[in-house]
Formats: sequence, C-alpha cells, structure tokens
Amino acid sequence: MTRRLIAAFLVFGLTVASSMVIVLSTGAQDNRTHQLGKKLKCMCGACNDTAATCFHVGGAFSGPCGTAKGMLNKIDQQIERGDSDDLIVQSFVQEYGQVALIEPPHTGIGRLAWAMPVLYLLAGAILVVFVISRWRKRPARAFQTAGASSVSGVSPELLERARRRVAEETED
Amino acid sequence: MDVFGSFALLLAFLCAGYAFVGGIAAILTRHPLLIKSARQAGIATCGLIFLATGSLVYLFFSDSYWVSYVVAHSNRDLSTFYKIAALWSGQEGSLLFWSFLLAIYVFSVLLVYRNKNGELMPYVGVVLAGVQIFFLTLNNFVASPFKVLAATGANGALEVFTRADGNGLNPLLQYPEMVIHPPNLYSGYTGFTIPFAFALGALLARYPGEKWIHLTRKWTMIAWCFQTMGILLGAHWAYAVLGWGGYWGWDPVENASLLPWLTGTAFLHSVMMQEKRGMMKVWNVWLVFSTFMLCILGTLLTRSGVVSSVHAFAQSSIGNYFVGFLVLVLAVCFGAYVKNRDYLKSENQLDSMVSRESSFLFNNLILLVSCIAVLSGTLFPVFSEWLSGSRISVGAPFFNKVNIPIGLLLLFLTGVGPLLAWRKTSTDSLKRNFGWPLIAGLLAGIVVFALGVREFFSLVCLMLCVFVTATISMEFFRGARVIRSRSGASLLASAVDLTMRNTRRYGGYIVHMGMVLIFVGLAGAAFNRDARKDMQPGSTLQIGGYKLLLQGFDTKAEKNYTSERMIVEVWRDNKPLMMLYPERRFFQTNEETGTMVAIYSTLREDLYVVYAGQNPETQAPVIHAFLNPLVKWIWLGGLVVVLGTLVTLLPNRRAVLVLAGAPERAGVQHPQALAPSVALKEGHD
Repeated sequence: MTRRLIAAFLVFGLTVASSMVIVLSTGAQDNRTHQLGKKLKCMCGACNDTAATCFHVGGAFSGPCGTAKGMLNKIDQQIERGDSDDLIVQSFVQEYGQVALIEPPHTGIGRLAWAMPVLYLLAGAILVVFVISRWRKRPARAFQTAGASSVSGVSPELLERARRRVAEETED
Repeated sequence: MDVFGSFALLLAFLCAGYAFVGGIAAILTRHPLLIKSARQAGIATCGLIFLATGSLVYLFFSDSYWVSYVVAHSNRDLSTFYKIAALWSGQEGSLLFWSFLLAIYVFSVLLVYRNKNGELMPYVGVVLAGVQIFFLTLNNFVASPFKVLAATGANGALEVFTRADGNGLNPLLQYPEMVIHPPNLYSGYTGFTIPFAFALGALLARYPGEKWIHLTRKWTMIAWCFQTMGILLGAHWAYAVLGWGGYWGWDPVENASLLPWLTGTAFLHSVMMQEKRGMMKVWNVWLVFSTFMLCILGTLLTRSGVVSSVHAFAQSSIGNYFVGFLVLVLAVCFGAYVKNRDYLKSENQLDSMVSRESSFLFNNLILLVSCIAVLSGTLFPVFSEWLSGSRISVGAPFFNKVNIPIGLLLLFLTGVGPLLAWRKTSTDSLKRNFGWPLIAGLLAGIVVFALGVREFFSLVCLMLCVFVTATISMEFFRGARVIRSRSGASLLASAVDLTMRNTRRYGGYIVHMGMVLIFVGLAGAAFNRDARKDMQPGSTLQIGGYKLLLQGFDTKAEKNYTSERMIVEVWRDNKPLMMLYPERRFFQTNEETGTMVAIYSTLREDLYVVYAGQNPETQAPVIHAFLNPLVKWIWLGGLVVVLGTLVTLLPNRRAVLVLAGAPERAGVQHPQALAPSVALKEGHD
C-alpha cells in the first residue's frame, strides 16, 4: 500500500508538473515599450491599471484608453530618441509626480512601503520566539487539566462551579 | 410600500434600542422578565428588518419609480433576476442588505440559544443590538433606501413625482454571479459579528474561555465559508465579465474582503490552542475583535473614498460614521480587555519549539503579517500624501511581490503544522511524517526544473503543493489503514469513515487540499500571455497553440440591451476545435457597454477571448485573446474548500454499538456465515 501511496504522490506531482511545464515554459516576449508601460500607472484617473495593461473596464473600447495610448506613444518617442529606461520613467514622474509609478519607488518615503512587510515579519518572528521562550520557561502549573483554574483572583472552586454550570448550559 | 418600509426600519431602530438598553438593565438587575423582553426586542428588530427589506424588494418588482433608490438602480426592462441584485447595487440598498443578513444571524442566535447559556446570552444580545443600532442608524437617518423623488411645486411645497422609467442597473452587475457574489461576501462580513459578540460578551461576563469558543466555532466556520465563497465568486466574476484577463487586481475593495478573511483564518487555527491547551486566550479574543473591526474598516475604506477604487459605486461621506463606530468598538473592546484581562491568562506551558503549538503561532504570524502588509499597502497612498505631500501609488506588482513569498511560507506551514505533535515532536516522528512528502516534493521540483520551468516562485509553489498533498494523503492513508484493518472495508470507505469520525480534523485537511489546488492555479499566473489584433471576417490571430479565425458577427436585441457577438472558430493543431462567441452588450437605458468573455477552459489552460470593441483609430473590430495557464484549478480548489468546510460543520460520528455482517473472505467458509458479529464504531475528537 505504501507503494500505491508513493505512486499516487508521483502521479499527482507529475500531472501538475506536466500541465505546468507544457504551458509555462514559454513566456511572452514583451517589447521595451510594453515593459516600461508596465512600470507606469495609467493616469486617466478612472482605472488602476498600468499604461501597458489598461483595459479601461466599462469603457466603449476594452483596450488602452486615450491617456494610456498617449503615455505609450510618449515612451515610443523617447525610445526612438535614445533615452534610457530610467530617464523615460523619470520624465513621467516629473510630469505627474510619484503617483505615476505603479509601485512605490525604492527611494525616499517609497522605501518605507517596501520595508514595512519585512519589518512586520521580523517584529512578528521576534515576538513569536519571545512568546515561545516565555511559555517554555513557565513552570508547569498544577492545574493543567480542565478541572482547575490558573486564573488569578478567581478561586479554583468558583471557576470549577462555573465550568460545570456552563457545561450543563451548553450541552449540544 | 415605501412608507411601510420606512416605518418598519424606524420601529426596528427603536426595538434595537430597547434590546440594547433593556439588555444592560437585565444584566445589572438579573430580572428574568427583563432578560426575556430584551431578547424578544432583539427578535422583533430582526423581524422588522426582514419586513423593510421585503418592502424594498417589492418596490423594485412593482417598478415604483417614485422611490429614488429604485429609479437609480432599476428599469422596467430589467429582468426579475437582476431586480433582486439591484437591492444591493448601491449604497443605501447594500447597507439595508447588510442589516438584513445581520438580522438573519442575530435571529438565529437568539432563537437557538433562547433557553441556553443564561449567564452569557444577555451580554451577547446587548453587543448584537449595539451593532444593529449602528447599521439601523445609517438605514434610517443617513442612507435611507426609501427616499422618494420630490420637487418644489407651484405653491412652494414639496411634491412627490414619479419617473416613467428608471436609470437601469450597472451593466457590470448584470451577470448571474453578481446575484450570488455580494450575498456571500456580505454574509461573511456580517457573520463575523456573531463570534465578536460572543467573545466580547464572554469577556464582559468573565465566562469560561473555552465555552464561548465552543459555542461560536460553527458560526465562525459558516462566516468564514461565506467569506471564502464571496471572495472566489468575486474573483470569478472579475475574470469572466470584466475582460481584463485576470481574477485579482489588488483593488482596495478586493483587499478589504481579504483582510478579515486572513484574521478569521488565523482565528480558526489558533482557537485550537485554547481548546486543547488553554493557551492564547488573549490572542484569540483580539483576533476575533480584529476580524470584526477589519470588516468595518473594509467597509469604511470602500465607501468613504479614502482610497481610490474601481468599485466607486458606493463612495460617499458615510465614512465618518464608520470611523466613529470603529473608534467606539475599539474603545469598548480595549476597556473590556483591561478590566477583565486577568481572566484570559494561559493555563499551560510549552514543552518544545518543534510542536503543534509553535506551528500555530507561526501560522498566525504569517497570516497576520500578510493582513497588515495588505492593509498598509492599501493605505500607503494616503499615508504618503500625509507624510510627504505627494501621493505614491501602490499597485498590483507591489502586492504580488510582498504576498507571494508570504503565501508560500503559509503553504509550507499547511503541510508541516498538522503533522507536528502537540507539546513536543520527536526526531523519529519528524522523519516518519516528513520523509516521503519531502522526497515527493523534491522529486516534483527536479522533474519540473528538468523540463524547463525556471520561474522561481512557480517552481517552489509546485514543490510545496506536492509536499502538502503528500502530507495530507499520508494522514488519510494512515488513519484509513487502521480502520480497514478492523472493519475489512475498502481503503476509500475507510477514509470516508475516518473523516466522519473526526469531521473537524479531516474536514480541515480537505480545506487544506482545496488551498493547495488554489495555489497550483495561482502558480500559473506568472505565465499568462495575451495577443490583441484588429480583425476582419476571415482574419486569424495566433496565440500559443490556438488559431482564432473570425467568421463574422451577429447581433441580437434583448429586452434590456443589444448584443453584438463575434463568431470565432478555434483551431488547434490545424484542426477545428470549437466555436467561441465573445460578446459586447450595449445597454440603452444607461448608455453603457459591457463585455461577455468567451472562455475555453481546461485543467491545462484557459483560452480567454474578449471582443474589445472598435479600435478608435482604425474603426476595425478588435479581438483580445489571453492564454492563462491553470486557472481552472483555482475554481476547483474553491469548491474543495467549501466541501471541506461543510464537512467540518458535520457532527462527529458518535460511538455506537452496531450489528454488522462479518466481512467474508473469499474461499473461507464460516460455519455461521449469517450470524451477526459485533463491531464497535468509535467517535473521537
């Protein structure tokens, strides 16, 4: 039976793997305009898409709106002029402000957005390790079973009575 | 009927007020009649809300175009099906619908526990009435759905007038899923009010901790299940209707629905620490408080216009009321905690870092970090404007970069956690439980890598999916093997028996399996492709292995819209495969356009075809096709999650003495073949 189990794992793994491999191994080859457009937010004010992927949901045409097209045309012109990627992106920041970037920049206050999740994880991990170590150091209480209480200020007898009453009341 | 609805809402407000004040008086005096009358006022509140909601539905069905809300969200040609959806399509109606769903929960709780938990229920009733008062205040005095159209008449007085027809329902909402997605999501949001009320009530009453958890477990599971279904149905609606090729855009409204789901999921796990070990009492209470407050915060974010969202249907100045309510809830929760925190002390110690307890802590950590990261990302544009004076956008790429690693960590813990023993896990146990799953995961990774996948996160995700599947399968297999050795039933029947003996544990594993399938689907997103082309009849578009041949167009006039369809023949490997009909709909009443995507969906990939409309520059019809790998796994996973949740809600099979025919082995003659043998079926937790 263990062999069957292993076979089942392998069949599942290989099914998923082959499904993925067949369809995933070739990715789209985006051109430079498209790649740069994906870094910029469509500034039409009616969607949260990037300039490259603006579909303008609900509009008469489900495709890049006039604003997104204008932004992509500007990128094309700047590429033809020989501008670098950074320069092109910065030109939009100058025109619209930081809001033109689809994700926070790695400079200034934008760093805070990127740092926050890492800080949460670190702070949380430290807290968890601290809690676990405190729990491990805590002396085993004499009343680990449901029969007694560790609650300070409440006598074990009182809590036991309360628990009995609650058990009666909550009988399914 | 509008007057009747308004009056019912006003009476409901008064009854909720009585349930709240009378409930407090009942707690203070412990007078049985006062307790009973407060409870009955709570039940009457719910009944009146049902009547008010029924009135609004009637106004929609009777085309009452003197009621402002009906005019704004319906029209005569709107089908009956969508007139139901119109109920929650705007601010006023959706708030009434919120009250309605909350009333269903409150009504059920007050009725189910009318003769039970005498010490606790008055507190719970007061908390529930408090929440109802807030929403009824909005329904009555801030966003009434029963306002009528009025204009100043010749004599200077206001006169009610009737419009010939309404403005119609937003085309994006005229889709069958929209009739079930919001009720599911709202049932999730409102459902979390019940565990919140029990947690706060138990804290105020100093009720023994594990009991309120026992009482609310099923309510929490129901709310969580609705929230999960709501989120997935919303994702499916976004995928099948909006025509942008994706299912999750990290829009603030989507994020708002995810936040309480994350804390609710954390609670469903950490609650076991309290039940089994008497630990994490403070944590659990605050998780429930946070989940409820995140439901309110989410509503605040999406209705106040604080953050820009494509779900702009409900933005207004109503946010101030939610801020006030949120502050009040936080103050009450904090006050109750400070007053009674000694009652929440843990009763046990931890024996080892490698234990089920630790895994629950890390599980909670990851879920909470994900929740806070999504929340802070959603609010960062506002913060950045406050701090630096310039608004910074936080779009989908940021959320993906942050949440994909977090999601993978969570997936890893999904496999590890359930196999660790309570208190302490031995090295032998680790080897026994994780040996084969690790090998299976690594093997899958090697195979996929050898076959050419280089996308790091997709590769890791796939390995973890196989690893978790292996751990879950082994759990089922081991338990089923023991049952089979006793009963002689097949392995499958034994696995079903095993699940029914401990529905909570094995239902939980089924939920985990559903999450694995969802992760398989998500792994495909890194490989989405799309192609767009101006088309004429006879032109073709190639995407992946598919060739799309445009055969022509047809138009159809429906009652509420005119539809134009592309007739697209799909070819694969130089053979015709099928026909697809992507569609654009023009809604005459509100002069808006909607898309209907045509999808050919397989386990391998979705061929997703959108008729994008006429290219504004060339006037040629445009086809936009996507090839989205593995998307179907997400919807299948969602179904498995719901199935698993339903299993966890079933009662365990009790220990019963049954008479069963003895299993007969081939070739073995029993002297008394028909004589019954006695088998004991045991239930355990």
